[in-house]
Amino acid sequence: MGKSEVKGTVTSLSSMFPAEETQKAAKMVEEKLSEKQNEMNQLKEFIADNTSLINLVQKLPDELHHDIMVPFGKAAFFPGRLIHTNEFLVLLGESYYTERTAKQTVEILKRRGKSLESKVDALKAVMQDLKAEASFFDSTASEAAEGLVEIREYEEDNSTKWASQSGSLELETPSVAEADNKMGASEDDDYARIMSRLEELEKEELAAEDNEENLEDEDEDANAVESDSNEDELTKAAEGDGDEDELTKPAFHRKKDEGYSYLDHGQRYSESPRKQLQQFNDKEPIEEMSNKYKHQDLTNQFASTGLTEEPVTKGEISHGRIIQEDTKTLSPSINASAPFEKKSVQTSKSEFDSSKAFTGSIVEHTQNLDKSSVGTNTTSLQSSGSQPSKPVSRFKMQRK
Amino acid sequence: MDSLRQEKVQKFEEFVDRRLKPDLVHAIAERDKIFDQQKIFSDLRKNIENLEKNSVTSLRTLVNLGSEVYMQAEVPDTQHIFVDVGLGFHVEFTWSEALKFISLRKEKLERQIEEYTRLIASIKAQIKLVCEGIRELLQIPEEKTVEGRVF
Repeated sequence: MGKSEVKGTVTSLSSMFPAEETQKAAKMVEEKLSEKQNEMNQLKEFIADNTSLINLVQKLPDELHHDIMVPFGKAAFFPGRLIHTNEFLVLLGESYYTERTAKQTVEILKRRGKSLESKVDALKAVMQDLKAEASFFDSTASEAAEGLVEIREYEEDNSTKWASQSGSLELETPSVAEADNKMGASEDDDYARIMSRLEELEKEELAAEDNEENLEDEDEDANAVESDSNEDELTKAAEGDGDEDELTKPAFHRKKDEGYSYLDHGQRYSESPRKQLQQFNDKEPIEEMSNKYKHQDLTNQFASTGLTEEPVTKGEISHGRIIQEDTKTLSPSINASAPFEKKSVQTSKSEFDSSKAFTGSIVEHTQNLDKSSVGTNTTSLQSSGSQPSKPVSRFKMQRK
Repeated sequence: MDSLRQEKVQKFEEFVDRRLKPDLVHAIAERDKIFDQQKIFSDLRKNIENLEKNSVTSLRTLVNLGSEVYMQAEVPDTQHIFVDVGLGFHVEFTWSEALKFISLRKEKLERQIEEYTRLIASIKAQIKLVCEGIRELLQIPEEKTVEGRVF
């Protein structure tokens, strides 16, 4: 793998996302957010009213009658009293009323409260999405302002292979490859296993970071991780968002990978943040990176997804919604694929921020790795690889 | 010269948009509030007249406890009615007193409505005037494209 021809493009982020457009989009999202906030306040008021009414209804039947001022129109009252304190007339909707006792009324009101609360939860979710969107736009705007550059590479033969492979990742696709059969089989088990494995790998990577060693090995190492994390991503989708997401994500994957894919392992210089990060790991003292790691996870994720995402969206800011959705579906995959390299991605990114020496960040799609070749890779790795082969091979073995 | 005129036009437009239009919206909202009050009191008068006609001495009604939950209520003596006289005060009236109060109240509300109507008309006139001024400012060198805003 990786011995074929590589083509690439370099696009500056600001040409795809002009700063004003991004700011406009961010502003729009902010407005939407405040709108939702108002809605939320109203709902909270309703809930408070409802709970106080429940208290009242529970209290009223304690006495036979209560002296009150009986409203007579909106501007007048008669002195009078409440009678039949255990009979309530409750609106069911559509101007149908029913006579209920206090207990029954309380039940109705509690159900109303529940539906109100579910509305609040839904609204909260929407608001969180909007917040994420806003931060995404903000970070995109700032990155565009800083003159970030995206470098993308294509590798023809791998991309076709990958396309068929990613197709098989999709559970619903008819063309499930034999190699992937076992992967799809027990995803929950895989998930747990993979997570623990990835953690291990991360630790080992940290230990290995100081060594300047064979980059080739590193790459293959990354590849192995990558393919596994794809699987991981599947399980994540299954666990979290349910089928919908699961379907869309692999589909998206496939689309993306067919279109352009990925880096060549032979070429060292034009690589993506992920790969790059590995290089950074190799070459830079770890403290420096950790010092520069200032961004929040969320924004980083979005930023990184934004970078990898751009080709799909064709840089149309006006379709912010779509972008957002794409990135949303993507972000878990990025997460999943990144754990091994996550830290270094962030560091490399922030490095660009702090020292303007780099004119751009480099983006790559590491997901497109050949799963079928991974096995052979690892074996060759073991023989040839000096350092990271160990974790990888272990990883590999455990998986199979 | 030209830039001066531009500046002036901008100032006038700002005056219309920032000052006159919000004033107009505010005045219309106030007048609507008074219309509502008028309706409340005319309803009340109708109701009291109804009670008188049917010589009701006690009545049963439903009280809204909130969220469309009602409970029965009983008024043993309808002779005394507490009417809202404003600022949160309620005065105990007999029916005839209440009717007298309502007619007085109605007169006052009508006066207020007239006042607001006049205010609204004057604000509209001012807007029209300023728009005409802008048109005149632009008219000399340019065609009469600026339309007076119609409300």
